[in-house]
Amino acid sequence: MTTAAVRVRGLTREFTRRRAQPRLALDAVDLTVEEGEVHGLLGPNGAGKTTLCKILSTVLLPTSGTALVNGFDVVRETKQVRQGIGIVFGGERGLYTRLTARQNLMYWSALYQQPTRVAKARVAELLERMGLLERADDAVETFSRGMKQRLHLARGLIGDPRTLLLDEPTVGMDPVAARDFRSLVAELRGEGRSILITTHDMAEAESVCDKVSLIDGGKVIGTESPRTIGGWMSKYERVRAQGVPEEVRAKLRALPGVSEVRVEDDEEVLVSVDAEGAAARVLRTLVDAGVSAVSTSRPSLEEVYLHVIGDRGLAVR
Amino acid sequence: MIGLFLAAMRFQAQVVRREPDYLMSLVTIPLLTVAFLAIMGNAGRADLAPYAVVGAALMTIWATALFVSGELIDADRWEGTLEGVLAAPAPYQVAYLGRIATVTVISFLGLVESALIAWLVFGVTFPVPHAGLLVLTLACTAFSMVGTASIMAPLFVLARSARIFQNSLSYPFYLLGGTVVPVVLLPEWLRPVSKAIFLSWASDLLRDCLRAEEPVAAPARLGVIVGLGVLGFGIGHLLTRAVFKRVRENGSVGFA
Ligand SMILES: Nc1ncnc2c1ncn2[C@@H]1O[C@H](COP(=O)(O)OP(=O)(O)O)[C@@H](O)[C@H]1O
Ligand SMILES: [Mg+2]
Repeated sequence: MTTAAVRVRGLTREFTRRRAQPRLALDAVDLTVEEGEVHGLLGPNGAGKTTLCKILSTVLLPTSGTALVNGFDVVRETKQVRQGIGIVFGGERGLYTRLTARQNLMYWSALYQQPTRVAKARVAELLERMGLLERADDAVETFSRGMKQRLHLARGLIGDPRTLLLDEPTVGMDPVAARDFRSLVAELRGEGRSILITTHDMAEAESVCDKVSLIDGGKVIGTESPRTIGGWMSKYERVRAQGVPEEVRAKLRALPGVSEVRVEDDEEVLVSVDAEGAAARVLRTLVDAGVSAVSTSRPSLEEVYLHVIGDRGLAVR
Repeated sequence: MIGLFLAAMRFQAQVVRREPDYLMSLVTIPLLTVAFLAIMGNAGRADLAPYAVVGAALMTIWATALFVSGELIDADRWEGTLEGVLAAPAPYQVAYLGRIATVTVISFLGLVESALIAWLVFGVTFPVPHAGLLVLTLACTAFSMVGTASIMAPLFVLARSARIFQNSLSYPFYLLGGTVVPVVLLPEWLRPVSKAIFLSWASDLLRDCLRAEEPVAAPARLGVIVGLGVLGFGIGHLLTRAVFKRVRENGSVGFA
């Protein structure tokens, strides 16, 4: 039997707060990331994604429960855990912004106890791979968001980790940068690394993951295939239209699979559906009625969760 | 371990080069050399010139430890790099010691600077009758300064109002450390306090190295300087561990 990259059982983390009720950031979470797998942790803001990543990377202690990374306990075997992981916390922070990309990586490499000669080669290789070689000797503060994030990933890879923890790595990136980033993730998977990637973006979860766990309110609601997530995105799609006459609105309401037809203040009509193929029926009805100002948009994660959790009869929080 | 220490030293040198405002005390405090020398000259005590030079230099060294080394962990906290440091397998204590060592070495330029100013502005030169001992004393002083600064860096993170604390460790310590005014000239009740501070031993011995007569009990005094430095490393080690323990318990923000 191979050891799972991540094995979490009954993991709970409570934050005590001044003059406030303690907050349960993680509530008895069970999660397994198999070796070589890209596992998505999909959840809205405040779901507990970062808290879980911090615990797995040994920088935060759990209140109770256990977590093993590469078979090592994150509380007791920190040294072994740290040797086997790379972490990428999303966002702007976490780099020495006045220093150059190369200087940053050389320091992190020292913190992974690599001899200078090895470090130099490894840093050059990573800079090249992340497409940062040309800007390697520029201060990080002059970098774009996407470049900073690639530098973060290079930093995460400095110790040649078996397991990568990526916490919302594409947050704030432009779409092109995010797409490039995802192909990098696919490459890393090809090298046999195990990856836990958190996101609140369903499309991202669908496109890069082998499995996706849904987290909300500190609880893991379930684990799904990316295809299922993709299905939800079309199943719960939303259609917006302008200049929709009242009789057409009534027609829309009567269509099977239409859950709501809401008229917003600017006379825009927002149609929500909750069945496969319903969005197409809505579009056809609108076009047939001569309505041309029509657009579709993805449902928000919160909406999908409401549907999914509702369908399964689970209570939120 | 040595590799990490050296890499951290190099890293800090790069930080200082990129952020020269770290060296403010090297710019401001030597002005004190001028002030001290002017006063002493006016009072007809040109013989006290070495006191002025040593005093201004030690103030620079102490201030740099306080305001640069003392900030290192806190700065990592604000940059968001602290968690990365904690999540790396290397002993973070060694990394911070390396960084502090660079800051300390640079701060010793204050001594060269003071001596140069004394010479350029006032034409003051002075012989160094005990050059070997002076070099040894400087090395021991640097060692203990690193040890003492390793207390400051975690202390300012752990202490509630770090700023107030920091400022209150500057002027009182210039005094208790006998940087300018030798400790023997302090009120009697202050002297025992001052004996617990390595700086007071260092400044006394440095001044003695510049006097003609043979410094008394030099090896023992060097031993005290080093011993207090070692004590500093020990306390610094424990406090740094306490900082990181707290980070792990509370999450990195929302403490102090
Ligand atoms: N250091 C902290 N102190 C108090 N509460 C915290 C702390 N960190 C996170 N929380 C709370 O825990 C919950 C989960 O947060 P987080 O793990 O950051 O969620 P996510 O990353 O999914 O957005 C939130 O309600 C958040 O406010
Ligand atoms: Mg988060």
